[in-house]
Amino acid sequence: MSGAKENGAVETAWCPGCGNFHILEALENALDTLGTDRRRLVLVSGIGQAAKLPHYTKANVFNGLHGRALPAATGIKMANRKLLVIVTSGDGDMYGEGGNHLVHAMRRNIGVKAFVHNNQVYGLTKGQASPTSEPGFVTKVQVDGVLSAPFNPLALAVTLGVSFVARSSAVIPDHLQAMMQEAIRAKGFALLDILQPCVTFNKVNTYKWYRDRVRELPKSHDPRDRDQALAAAMTWGDEIPVGVIYRGVRPAFEDAHPILAGAPLVSAFKQPLP
Amino acid sequence: MTTNIRICGAAGQGVQSFGDLLARTFASMGLHVFATQSYLSRIRGGINSYDVRIGSEELFSSARKTDLLVALNREALDQEKANLAMNGVMILNTAESGGNYLALQMDKLAQAAGGTARMANSAGAGAVVSVLGYDLDALHKCLTQEFSKKGRDIVEQNLDAASRGYRAVAGHEGLVRAPKPAGAPATLYDGSTAIALGAATAGVKIVFSYPMTPSSGVLTALAGMSHKYGMVVEQAEDEIAAPNLLCGATFAGVPAMTTTSGGGFALMAEGLSLAGMLELPIVIFLSMRPGPATGMPTRTAQGDLAFAAHAGHGEFPKIILAPGDLRQAFDLTRRAFELAHKFQTPVILVADQFLTDLQKNIPELPDAPDYINLHLAKNSAPGKAYERYLVTDSGVSPRAVPGGDSYVVSASDMHAEGGHLSEDFNVQIALQDKRMRKITGILDEFIQPEIHPEPAGEILLCWGSAYGPCRAAVDLLRARGRDVCMVHFPMVWPLDGAAHAPLFEGRRVIAVEGNGTGQFALLLRQAGALREFSLLPRYDGLPFTAEFIETEVLS
Repeated sequence: MSGAKENGAVETAWCPGCGNFHILEALENALDTLGTDRRRLVLVSGIGQAAKLPHYTKANVFNGLHGRALPAATGIKMANRKLLVIVTSGDGDMYGEGGNHLVHAMRRNIGVKAFVHNNQVYGLTKGQASPTSEPGFVTKVQVDGVLSAPFNPLALAVTLGVSFVARSSAVIPDHLQAMMQEAIRAKGFALLDILQPCVTFNKVNTYKWYRDRVRELPKSHDPRDRDQALAAAMTWGDEIPVGVIYRGVRPAFEDAHPILAGAPLVSAFKQPLP
Repeated sequence: MTTNIRICGAAGQGVQSFGDLLARTFASMGLHVFATQSYLSRIRGGINSYDVRIGSEELFSSARKTDLLVALNREALDQEKANLAMNGVMILNTAESGGNYLALQMDKLAQAAGGTARMANSAGAGAVVSVLGYDLDALHKCLTQEFSKKGRDIVEQNLDAASRGYRAVAGHEGLVRAPKPAGAPATLYDGSTAIALGAATAGVKIVFSYPMTPSSGVLTALAGMSHKYGMVVEQAEDEIAAPNLLCGATFAGVPAMTTTSGGGFALMAEGLSLAGMLELPIVIFLSMRPGPATGMPTRTAQGDLAFAAHAGHGEFPKIILAPGDLRQAFDLTRRAFELAHKFQTPVILVADQFLTDLQKNIPELPDAPDYINLHLAKNSAPGKAYERYLVTDSGVSPRAVPGGDSYVVSASDMHAEGGHLSEDFNVQIALQDKRMRKITGILDEFIQPEIHPEPAGEILLCWGSAYGPCRAAVDLLRARGRDVCMVHFPMVWPLDGAAHAPLFEGRRVIAVEGNGTGQFALLLRQAGALREFSLLPRYDGLPFTAEFIETEVLS
């Protein structure tokens, strides 16, 4: 938790043992390994426990509204394409409230990196179902258990030809760090779905549950092959594949767009900065 | 001296291009033009109409009656003949003569000229200029200009079609009295173009909108200018995304705007509040149509002011500007960006279908980029961490953008000066007070109302697009000896009751508003500027005209 310590401004609001700590640590390590200039980094989030992460490290921070991290991140990237824009938010934020924004950010393939803390439950609002909760998951609101099918963000991303689609988990921090580095290096939109235990509200998908199931994709997996990618994205159960599922060939929005492909928009103005 | 020409026909019959051609022709002759459209929410069928009013002096309103009606089909004629002025003349696109109209086979005339039925407008326009007693020169020049890119043959066929139309009504030259050219400006603008040009020249670089009538004209105009001005014009997935993207763009230092109408604006309320909290200079263009809900998509209204003034949860400063005419549409769009950046708070620019579709010839608008001051601060603070929300006397904190030496931290949660989350009650009070203190500075820059022509015992109080019709109505009423003036507010929020009260003291106030409740007058009353007022409302979906207001005042 070097970031929190160095920043010192904000005390974390996470439960002891929360998967978010491992995700924060992996992010710190990934950024340090890549030698990222933190002054050119913007961490964007919505609302939720995961969405507090930007406050706990050294970066520019845009902590916006619930579900709306991606439009804000898109605006930042359009305004100044030289910034590294990473969204770090939860499954409720990105797959529920912000579902439409996710669809269209992926359609644009804008060069934003989305790190989704997917703990299959709503933490900050105290334990309701999330779009990725397992069918039958019982909560104080879903008293008869979840009836809806779980949302599959990775399969959607593959069908939209997104630049980078991967899955990892807070229970395998080294793998997670490697995936974050790959996502940051990739051009265009990156979706990294991070399976994460919630020690307080999700008694089903625990550390042990995830550890028992995550399996690295076999060496033979070709992330350029959409059919293989879709098969991996659709695999969920006793084995859950982790790794780079898909690499799309579409250009990043900011490279394809005739205006954005030039100098950063922000440089059009004579102003005392950056 | 004014004359009103109304083209009407089914959607898809070319009413708009016919009207556009006439408006351009008359403007190029030096006549004052005031052109408005009335269309249904459909792409084919129904009856659409296009009024081109011409005058020897500047015009501020459309006319209720038609001096020359051009009906492209019989249904249009039947519907519109009741609106014919005394001595009015009708031209009907038909082969059957013998009625109380001039029969003109526009398609046949165009085909006789070797062209296609699509050139029928040119034949029709030829007949119109003849009946008005003008010669063909200006029309021929406009057609040459319009079709020169399509080759010599097309130009010649159009010129011939116009000449044939002109000759087809021989014997009726000058049948309808028309004004003499008066040296009016040749450049014809519509409200949408004026707003788009104001935004582009002010330096907007990101436009993010979901299309919605009647705001789409501005979006389309901006897209058309995007390469010239280096703007990214991107279609939003929904209106919830739009203000959030604008917040991201302005956070990173780039002026950004969105365009919408009432329903879309309703979805933006959440992001509007975000801009208030993060203190970001976003600009929302709201073009009004009658509500509630889907309402009347292609019609006009001034019914969303109270909503706009109160939109967004929580309390934060917000500015609402409402231009009255085309020049003001350009100027206030620029002012919207200036005020947003100076006070780091959202600005809503409000217009409606009437103003955005309105065409008038006015002196040329500047089109050279002349970027506004973004009021940005250096992103470094030697020895001290940069604090995005530093508490200041003015309430405005030095605004830096990411990419410099210090981190810029913004959060939609309650935050301390540094931008990080805080749940401290004293911080909440200090930061809310800081934000709300900006209102004092904003009111110092209040755009004063226009009084026309001079203070009088009776006031027609109006805002936004009611300007022109109200002003013209005042002239009509004063000609009848009535002691009346217009007071027009181009800036409608925030309001300073004490400052505005003397305007109304001891005077009879009639609020002329395109809604059913007098929303602006009620805001003025709430602010303490106004006690009593009577209401002259219009909420049938049509714009005010001077005659409508005159009749209502006299009744």
